[in-house]
Amino acid sequence: MEQIDQELLDNLLQDTSFINWAKKSNRNDIQYWNSWIRNNESKIKTIDTAKSIILGISFQKTKVANEKVEAELNSVLNTINKTKTRTKRISSYIPYGIAATVAILFIFLTNNNSNKNSVTHKTAYGEIINLSLPDGTKVVLNGNSEINYTKENPRDIVLTGEAYFKVKPVPATKAKFWVTTKDLKVEVYGTQFHVNTREEKTDVVLDEGSIHLLLDNGLTKKMIPGEFVSFSKSSENITHKKVDLDVPYSLWRDGTYIFNNLTLKEVMKNMEYTYGIEVKFLNEKLKEKLITGGIPNENLMICLAAIEKSADITIIKKDNTIELTEN
Amino acid sequence: MEISPEKSLWFMFIKGDLNAFSSLFKHFYPMLHNYGIKISGNSSLTEDSLQSFFVYLYENKGKIGEVTHVKSYLFVSYRRALLKELKKEKKFTSYDEIMESEKGFVFSIEELKSKQETTQLKSTALLQLLNSLPTREKEVIYLKYYSNLKSSEIAEVMNITYQSVSNTLQKAFAKLRNKSESAAISRVLNP
Repeated sequence: MEQIDQELLDNLLQDTSFINWAKKSNRNDIQYWNSWIRNNESKIKTIDTAKSIILGISFQKTKVANEKVEAELNSVLNTINKTKTRTKRISSYIPYGIAATVAILFIFLTNNNSNKNSVTHKTAYGEIINLSLPDGTKVVLNGNSEINYTKENPRDIVLTGEAYFKVKPVPATKAKFWVTTKDLKVEVYGTQFHVNTREEKTDVVLDEGSIHLLLDNGLTKKMIPGEFVSFSKSSENITHKKVDLDVPYSLWRDGTYIFNNLTLKEVMKNMEYTYGIEVKFLNEKLKEKLITGGIPNENLMICLAAIEKSADITIIKKDNTIELTEN
Repeated sequence: MEISPEKSLWFMFIKGDLNAFSSLFKHFYPMLHNYGIKISGNSSLTEDSLQSFFVYLYENKGKIGEVTHVKSYLFVSYRRALLKELKKEKKFTSYDEIMESEKGFVFSIEELKSKQETTQLKSTALLQLLNSLPTREKEVIYLKYYSNLKSSEIAEVMNITYQSVSNTLQKAFAKLRNKSESAAISRVLNP
């Protein structure tokens, strides 16, 4: 009886063209292998085995309900949290310390302002804060960013930097909410959106509800959820497109930057704005290297370590300058 | 260079990021759950052991060495943890004994798609043949076609050589083919 030719079997299993033949997915491959098989009839058992292994068994997989997974996850997270508070009691005081400093800083900034009615919230490099405005609107302010408003009108905000807004609707009066940047004004009733004024333009991404943009050149734009608008006053450049909300633009507010096929140059620009560092590329072509993935952003060193790992490069930090070299 | 989302989540999890840990949990829980039930035939034991497995994973994240494939790493570690648990409960003397027990990797008719490319056999007949295979052959088939692991990953999970994964698949398919479906050239060729 014919024996299996192991070497041929291994080769067939790794041959894309043979796999196409077995799956009947490419006409040229089917023709080629059909004639090859006719000429190698003595190997028919090996060929047949290879075909079976490629096609395999088609299973109907049992689904595990999402609710079930969530419930199990919660109970795992609870167990983890319990052990955390048991073993790390001292470290758990640290966040309170930071919160207190931030609060004091606000009072200081507020009182020191020449205009007594003006309120300012400002973040340092690498600092992310959650704010609740007097009207109940929630704001997450990214590092090196600032918002201003007057006490008389806490629903009229001026933003420099990057922030995420969850606007509290006021159905009774239909009171609007405004965010003004150097390039445009966002007009809303109640919704969730993301504004970024870094660089010479303002980017807006809308998650929920609907908003109007009043551009500095006098035009208006209506946005629906899942859309992205970018406008620059200086160049009058406007981009209006749909974005993939599965890869949110504003994931930094959960402590993670998500990059989807961005060049290292763009990623590092983000780091410069958020952490106030200066980036030097020692190899020019590194700038074009693409990065996909999530990078933790609450700490510069962790962030740099993650970029090093995912882009396969070496990062050297000298005071406020970081240098990128190829491995 | 691109890194897989799995790998970057894994890296963040190792650094202690709970969001990354939760994403990994949501992604891998269903497949590990199905795998655990196939090994143990017991859903409450599977769920309990998965809970402790993930808690253990989080608490010992500092001790985990370099991981090349996240998926096969989780499969191999969970398999080890579950077998340990089974050994404790049923007082088996060896892992082999657990794996060779009748309960392991029993497939049901609902799990087989009615249209199979490999064979002309009816689902019921295929099911019978499938369930009569030795447990190791069933596990290789399960990991390859149900969990979609590569042969090299299966070798890692089952702690056997690549060659023996390949041999096991050959043996299994030799048995799964109907006697009437001999390797005739007319059948092997694509119409």
